Amino acid sequence: MAHRKKNRNVGIIGIGQTKHSSHREDVNQPEMIHEAVSLALKDANLTMKDIDCVVHGNMELFEMIHQPDMWHTLGTGAFGKDTIRITTGGTVGATICCASDNLVASGMYDIVMAIGFEKQQEGHTTGGITNMADPLWFRKIQAGALTGSAAYDVQREIGVERANRASMTYRIIMDKHAGLNPNAHRSFGLDFSQIDDLIKSSPKLVGDLKLIEMCSQSDGACCVIFACEKKAKELSKNPVWVRDHITKHKEETFTIFGYDKKYPWLRTHKVAAEELFKRNDIKDPFNYFDVFEMYDPATWWAMDWIKDFFGLQGDEHIKLIENHEIMIGGTMPINLSGGVIGSNPIGATAMIRVAEAALQVRGNAGAHQNPTPVKHALASGFGGTMWTVLTMLEKELNW
Amino acid sequence: MAEYWGIKVEDIFNSMKERFRPEGAKDVDAIFGYDIKDEGKWKLTVKSNGMTLEKTDDLSSCVSVMKADGETFVGVNTGKVDATNAFMGGKVKVDGDMAAFGKTGKLFRKFVIAKKEMSTKEYLENMFATVVPRFKASESEGLDASFAFDLGGTDGGKWTVFIKDKKCTVTTTIEGKPSVTLEFNEARDYVDFILGKIDAQSLLAGGKASAKGDINMMQTKWPVLFEKYKDPLGGGVPEQELLAIKRTISVNQRYATGPVMGRFLKGLKEKKIIGNKCPACGRMQMPPREVCAECRVRASDFVEVGPKGEVRYMDIVYYAMPDPLTGIARETPYGSINVLLDGCKGNETLPHFIRKDQIEKIQMGWNEKKGTRVRPVWEDNRIGDIWDIKYFEIDE
Repeated sequence: MAHRKKNRNVGIIGIGQTKHSSHREDVNQPEMIHEAVSLALKDANLTMKDIDCVVHGNMELFEMIHQPDMWHTLGTGAFGKDTIRITTGGTVGATICCASDNLVASGMYDIVMAIGFEKQQEGHTTGGITNMADPLWFRKIQAGALTGSAAYDVQREIGVERANRASMTYRIIMDKHAGLNPNAHRSFGLDFSQIDDLIKSSPKLVGDLKLIEMCSQSDGACCVIFACEKKAKELSKNPVWVRDHITKHKEETFTIFGYDKKYPWLRTHKVAAEELFKRNDIKDPFNYFDVFEMYDPATWWAMDWIKDFFGLQGDEHIKLIENHEIMIGGTMPINLSGGVIGSNPIGATAMIRVAEAALQVRGNAGAHQNPTPVKHALASGFGGTMWTVLTMLEKELNW
Repeated sequence: MAEYWGIKVEDIFNSMKERFRPEGAKDVDAIFGYDIKDEGKWKLTVKSNGMTLEKTDDLSSCVSVMKADGETFVGVNTGKVDATNAFMGGKVKVDGDMAAFGKTGKLFRKFVIAKKEMSTKEYLENMFATVVPRFKASESEGLDASFAFDLGGTDGGKWTVFIKDKKCTVTTTIEGKPSVTLEFNEARDYVDFILGKIDAQSLLAGGKASAKGDINMMQTKWPVLFEKYKDPLGGGVPEQELLAIKRTISVNQRYATGPVMGRFLKGLKEKKIIGNKCPACGRMQMPPREVCAECRVRASDFVEVGPKGEVRYMDIVYYAMPDPLTGIARETPYGSINVLLDGCKGNETLPHFIRKDQIEKIQMGWNEKKGTRVRPVWEDNRIGDIWDIKYFEIDE
């Protein structure tokens, strides 16, 4: 979207999500999606009759169903309605939100329902991810989405011991947030006193990336309803305004690990954030935003990326973690929902970031609501092929 | 007194003595208080691997006092309410020494409704006693494998399940070299796992369980070989049996490689590694690609590079991820490397694998430090595939 070319403003007026868990064998896919759809409609006090268009998406190949949106009409109730299906990998949930925003802003539709879902237990996650790689050669080399490269980078930057402790501190903060969020999948009840134990006991997956530091595989769905300014003001007491969104990606290749200062490997988060903040005239994003819902596939990436998103210097990002400033009530609360490390139904994951950020702006997130007022929120999406989507949400229509 | 899930607050306190675990009280010497809203106050004294409990209004001597309402207290003790969530959500509060109170978690076995109780030991006996009756011989054609279970804790034990010549036998030891070994720190976790109360991910993540050997065999073969264990206390069949449809998809694929990737693959057949150069920025694309993504121009200048180079990055992979193309778990650990081939620079690296026995010797390079020099080891029978290079090895 070209910023400031929005034909009209768009607000989020309904939010619904399932409880995320490792197994939802009690329901099939349309039934699981129906739970999120019903909750979002109820939240917006609407019925399916009010919805003009449905945008639907998840990870391609995960459940091995072609056009799942057709089958899922049983759960969404979108019979005969305009439906658009989107699949952009890990970012898909965020991309669905971008598309919904664009569809409403353009004037094509007044009210659009966005749906993201995943039932990871029904397919083969690693198979799905690996099949994204170039089939001519790279499929045979790649295996899933795991890499220890971020751990290697952070350890080289600040030393192994400090890096390991910061990583586990981040993990425990996410667990504490997940403990406050009844929809979170994984909530172990970890405490900071366990940092040293967990560093030793959690099995290594790849390099220094440990199992407990990696995101979960969850089943779940999320639904967000977008409306034009007129409808949003009519229908909702507290719409959350979508100010802007940006998508950045570069070539799809994993040959980026040269570790050469003259050729830094691409950082789409940094590029996306700088451009988004510049065009919105936000000079100090760290002070501007009240909360940040970050797509954090693993602690190491999360730590490293905080720096990129906010343009921090030196070890400022590490200190934020060490001083618990990213915790609920801190100077920059990150992932009050427990994040992707807490729940990861991938096709819904990046949408949950937008949904949770919107809940914070609305001020009714429940036990994980930030104690100080939230006026400006940022949400990020990430895809394994180095994609970034950023979404800015606002309480007031005053920018 | 009110009942919650058919249980009174008093039931929890009255059964404490019976549920007390001296092994969990080894290093505990303290007095704990419980202040249960509308129910009363209790004082628990733990000393010298023993305990006493009294109902009293004076909790002044307690190191820490837990405060909750009756429903939450019963819920947390019976597993109906998630303790962490109750605590984080403020339904359970602890006054005084928080860390000391944490130790009470290990002091008692979980409260279970008495008439429906089976101990971990009984469950394990039942589970392994039913392995042979649950065995589906027809699914074991040509299979010679053994599954070992090493379950820790006081109720734990060791079992091996052998499958050979379409017969299944069980021993209460671990013998020979099992195809796969499952280890649980606490046997109770294994029982809960089989009963579907804990998922494998949580156990592995918490470091409570691990698997060694052919994990794929355990994940995919075991559920086919054996009927699912039925909980004798399960209370018969649910109202409606919820079926899951299982299916394995195997499809033939045929991808045209085109003249650019085709040239790279053909080069491998001839033991050559070929990249292409961007005519605008001069960067080498490895492997070659039709267009330079930086300059958006056609890259047509093909150049032979390597075949030797230096390792710039290596991932040591410990997690036995089943290869989605073959279904077989790669043997771990293995080293996934990015090689900067001679003639390439910057990020123009080629990802591949390192010889398994050389993982420990690999040094990753960067500007100031050269990485370990490596060379490709070629297949004898090359077909024009990335696996025409078996792996890279140290160039000594």
